[in-house]
Amino acid sequence: MQKKVIKYALSIVALIVVAYNSIYFKSLDEVKAASAVKQFDAASYAHHFFNKKLMPGIDKAVEIDALLKLVQSDPSKAFLSYSHALGIGNIRYFLVKGEGTIKAIGENTTTISYISDTTQKQLEIATEFVYGNAIRDASGLININEFNSTMDFNNVSAEINKIVRSEVLPSFKANGKVGDRIKFSGAIELNQAHLNLDHIEVVPITLKLESK
Amino acid sequence: MEAIIKLNSQNSIKKYTRSLARFQSLIALFILCFVLSILSDKFLTIDNAWNVMRQISVNICIATGMTLVVLTAGIDLSVGSVLALSGAITAGLLRNGLEFPSANLYVGFTILGAVLAGLLIGALLGVFNGWTITRFKVPPFVATLAVLTIARGLTMLWTKGFPISGLGESFSFIGTGWFLGIPVPVWISGIIVLMAVLLTRKTRFGRYIYAIGGNENASRLSGINIDKIKIAVYTIAGGLAAIGGIIVTSRLDSAQPNAGITYELDAIAAVVIGGTSLSGGKGSIMGTVLGAIIIGVLNNGLVLLNVSPFWQQVVKGFVILLAVIIDKANSKNQ
Repeated sequence: MQKKVIKYALSIVALIVVAYNSIYFKSLDEVKAASAVKQFDAASYAHHFFNKKLMPGIDKAVEIDALLKLVQSDPSKAFLSYSHALGIGNIRYFLVKGEGTIKAIGENTTTISYISDTTQKQLEIATEFVYGNAIRDASGLININEFNSTMDFNNVSAEINKIVRSEVLPSFKANGKVGDRIKFSGAIELNQAHLNLDHIEVVPITLKLESK
Repeated sequence: MEAIIKLNSQNSIKKYTRSLARFQSLIALFILCFVLSILSDKFLTIDNAWNVMRQISVNICIATGMTLVVLTAGIDLSVGSVLALSGAITAGLLRNGLEFPSANLYVGFTILGAVLAGLLIGALLGVFNGWTITRFKVPPFVATLAVLTIARGLTMLWTKGFPISGLGESFSFIGTGWFLGIPVPVWISGIIVLMAVLLTRKTRFGRYIYAIGGNENASRLSGINIDKIKIAVYTIAGGLAAIGGIIVTSRLDSAQPNAGITYELDAIAAVVIGGTSLSGGKGSIMGTVLGAIIIGVLNNGLVLLNVSPFWQQVVKGFVILLAVIIDKANSKNQ
């Protein structure tokens, strides 16, 4: 009988010790107030990133013509020197700049032609569907570990794309005409394992029309 | 005299075949490692060995529980979903705690609390599996298939379909840390294996498990409480799946609602390759560990050789089939 009592007593003590080290209690209002302060504001973060971090360094982006030549001649060097990506997959992103002439204005993209050595080349600039993580990942300036959740991290991308749609594209779409000279910067995506340089699409960061 | 010599030589051939059959998994593993080390220079490195061990530790946890279930002639298809739910509960409680607005109360969970809650959920789902199988005589395949769906649904409800991330560095230690030069998940799976080996070889409970799988009616007539043992076995399987879930969640620093899909198949494959009979009563924990290592090495080797993931599944399927065929042939010979 005495043994049983000791067994139960020890079990209860062990349970109390475990429970004490497992849970804690707080006032819900207090916790909510603290978490409201901590709430991540993706829109502000994206604006700060776009204006204070991305734009000041955009001139340092690689010339698209030089990059594509390097990708053809020495892909490993090109990917190692200029690309960024989150994971270890084959899809990698580049921050690029360039200039050319508007050749065609389509529903979703604008075709730009430029002279590479003596050959005329073309690329597309996305003007309607600006989605995905190209700009965020190409910049290499945002670290996923800074975020509490992947949702916050992805929301930053969504907000950056929103800035491009609302602040970069409207004036270009309103004023750009076939034949206009244009200076651009943006992000492109290349698949390291299956290179396709025939169709390059730039997600724009800046689009500057130049008078003829 | 000649007849005696012939009989003796036949007996020694039989003995030799039997001992060869006992070590077939080990031989298969050596051949596999030998071939892969020739085909890939990255295979036989210490880093890769730890990588394989770390990857298989989750499967070893689940497959150990699965072995106990299969030894009783049962099957547990729910382990993958139990893993996901336990991981999600642990992550959710650790990150968000529980809120009771009517009482203006917030209950926060420490790592210990969240881990215990995850384990409790896994064990409770195991109890539920065992209860439906023994109380309503639902075939284990159907009962655990139902729990597979229930647990996956509960995981989606709890996570709202989104991953729960940002669980902190201390929690990440469970899945990514090192202790005495060995990855923590390897320690965890090693301790589980040791305990399971002792349980099956040195305890009455372990002998009952084999007895039930060998002949359930005879076991019942000899006074074994079949229902109690079965419920206990499914509870252990659920608890071990929960441990797997906590390791996965910690390693990814995130609870994924889709975690653990098809993990039950890998666990069953490890059990079968390890020589445990699906009809129960025959097999061992160490065999399952070997089976899990074979699957892990095979997966790792195929990745290193740049084999498409689709072909990897095909190869894995054939290996399982081959293991069962060899097992059947051995049973016939014996």
